[in-house]
Amino acid sequence: MTDPGLVAFVVFTLMALLLASGIWVAVSLTAVGFVALFFFSPAPAGSLLASTVWDASWNWALTALPLFIWMGEILFRTRLSEDMFRGLSPMVGRLPGGLLHVNILGCGVMAAVAGSSAVTCATVGRMSVPELKRRGYDERLTIGTLAGSGTLGLLIPPSIMLIVYGVIAQQSISRLFIAGVLPGLMLIGLFMLYVAIRARLNPALAPPFEERLSFREKLLRARLLIPVVLLIVAVIGSIYGGFATPTEAATMGVIGALILAAWSRSLNRESFMASLMGAVRTSCMIAFILAGAAFLSIAMGFTGVPRVLAGYVEAWNLSPTELLIVLTLLYIVLGCFLDGVSMMVLTASVVLPMVSDAGIDLLWFGIFTVIVVEMAQITPPVGFNLFVLQSLTGRDILQVTRASMPFFFLMLLGLVIITVFPQIVTWPVQLMVMR
Amino acid sequence: MLRRSLDAAYLAAGYLAALFLAGIAVTIIAQIGARLLGYTVDSTETAGFCLAASTFLGLAYTLKAGGHIRVNLVIRGIRGRPRRWIELWCTGFTALAMAYFTWWAFDFVYFSWAFGEISPGLMAIPFWIPRSGMALGLLLLTIALVDEFIAIWNGAVPSYEANADVVLPADGEEVRQ
Repeated sequence: MTDPGLVAFVVFTLMALLLASGIWVAVSLTAVGFVALFFFSPAPAGSLLASTVWDASWNWALTALPLFIWMGEILFRTRLSEDMFRGLSPMVGRLPGGLLHVNILGCGVMAAVAGSSAVTCATVGRMSVPELKRRGYDERLTIGTLAGSGTLGLLIPPSIMLIVYGVIAQQSISRLFIAGVLPGLMLIGLFMLYVAIRARLNPALAPPFEERLSFREKLLRARLLIPVVLLIVAVIGSIYGGFATPTEAATMGVIGALILAAWSRSLNRESFMASLMGAVRTSCMIAFILAGAAFLSIAMGFTGVPRVLAGYVEAWNLSPTELLIVLTLLYIVLGCFLDGVSMMVLTASVVLPMVSDAGIDLLWFGIFTVIVVEMAQITPPVGFNLFVLQSLTGRDILQVTRASMPFFFLMLLGLVIITVFPQIVTWPVQLMVMR
Repeated sequence: MLRRSLDAAYLAAGYLAALFLAGIAVTIIAQIGARLLGYTVDSTETAGFCLAASTFLGLAYTLKAGGHIRVNLVIRGIRGRPRRWIELWCTGFTALAMAYFTWWAFDFVYFSWAFGEISPGLMAIPFWIPRSGMALGLLLLTIALVDEFIAIWNGAVPSYEANADVVLPADGEEVRQ
């Protein structure tokens, strides 16, 4: 057998070349897996390719993914985003920081629905940036809140990212969803607190919002917002209470979304088909990547590369905390080239064994990774959200980056908090009813 | 003529993929409904088969629509003739890789048929049926890639570039919805 160190070198070089030259991520993963098997192991590469990809493709855990994507696509095509600004502004207008909280909470809701941080950023931003500018809100805080909160969708359930992690790390998706709730709320809280403090220290940043509405009017304004939030709570609640598996909860989510869309008169043949075809495109893309990743991971197992790399890392004698710091840096660097799903999938076969050897709980690590991936979305020079905001606001990347930095550090603070108090992640999971 | 029938085939497979995606929800609804009525319907397998069928039948359609992601950090700045060579490399390499994959997928289907492999669940479905969805989907993807390769060779813009949902538009363009 060839020296695994050499194999690792060949594999990484090839992967980098294929990805950089524009080969689709799923294809790159499969091709690299094939090369590793064909040249560096005695296993039959062709038939393993077909059987491994097949096994990964009809995985029960993965059936929740297309349904949650479809649910999001349906809700996304309703008037939700228009209702967002009108509905949220009277609720948060009198907090210190005023309408900036609309950005944070709006992104939180939209993110749970849209599941993609770039889309979340763009949708909420298009509504709120002109409004906030007109009212004289500080531009940097406007952009920063959007950049930071846009990434929340990766964590707040029903999160596509957590499904992907659950499938590759073989962790229960139900438990991951529940584990994501408190850290997600905590990040929202940190963002809101930061904005409130900044606004208290310098009221000029966020002029007070004058509109006074009665409670009834407030409810009326939030017509579509409240049912959507209730739907999300019901979906998560049914998983938490042990009434439903994630797939069943997702099915109810789809039905609920269809009812809401019909009720708000945005459901017709055209929008139904558009939502379904949109779901096909996204879930096909992710499932194909996961299938390629499953094959790569089997192939790597045959070559012994992960074991050798884990050995290298072991030789450094890192404490678990040091290992986490190294991994955080690794992900942030990778985030310059890759989107979240690819990042997670590419590193899984090497990183997960390492982490579990170090005695780190894989459930907790899932939440940790997702927050790091969120941070990577707003890290210069190539954070996805930064580009979206750049084109949305017409400011250059440097200004957008400067505006986003405080939120980057708030997420870092979030990471430190869940590392020091892992109970924030694990405690709700221990309380849930498992089925 | 050929052009039209190929495009129709990709789209038809895309609609089939959509049907199977909705099929996941339908089998789950059947399972929940049956449970409420006191019957046992196990959707674990059928939902999984629908998922696989949806994924593979949707591959060619998703490719055409620009749905598959790739790293464009390096190639983003390259225009004109060099870019055409890059796209020829991407579609050519991927077409070869997927042709090989398709071959083995059909081999896999053939052996599941020859050995009479049956799914372990209550339904006991012969495995060759759902697995042929994978083989056919990969075949169509290979055809679509060859199709793209020829089109780019003849000077066309790749359709996965032209049709992509633009989330990150070039400077000065509006974000398209």
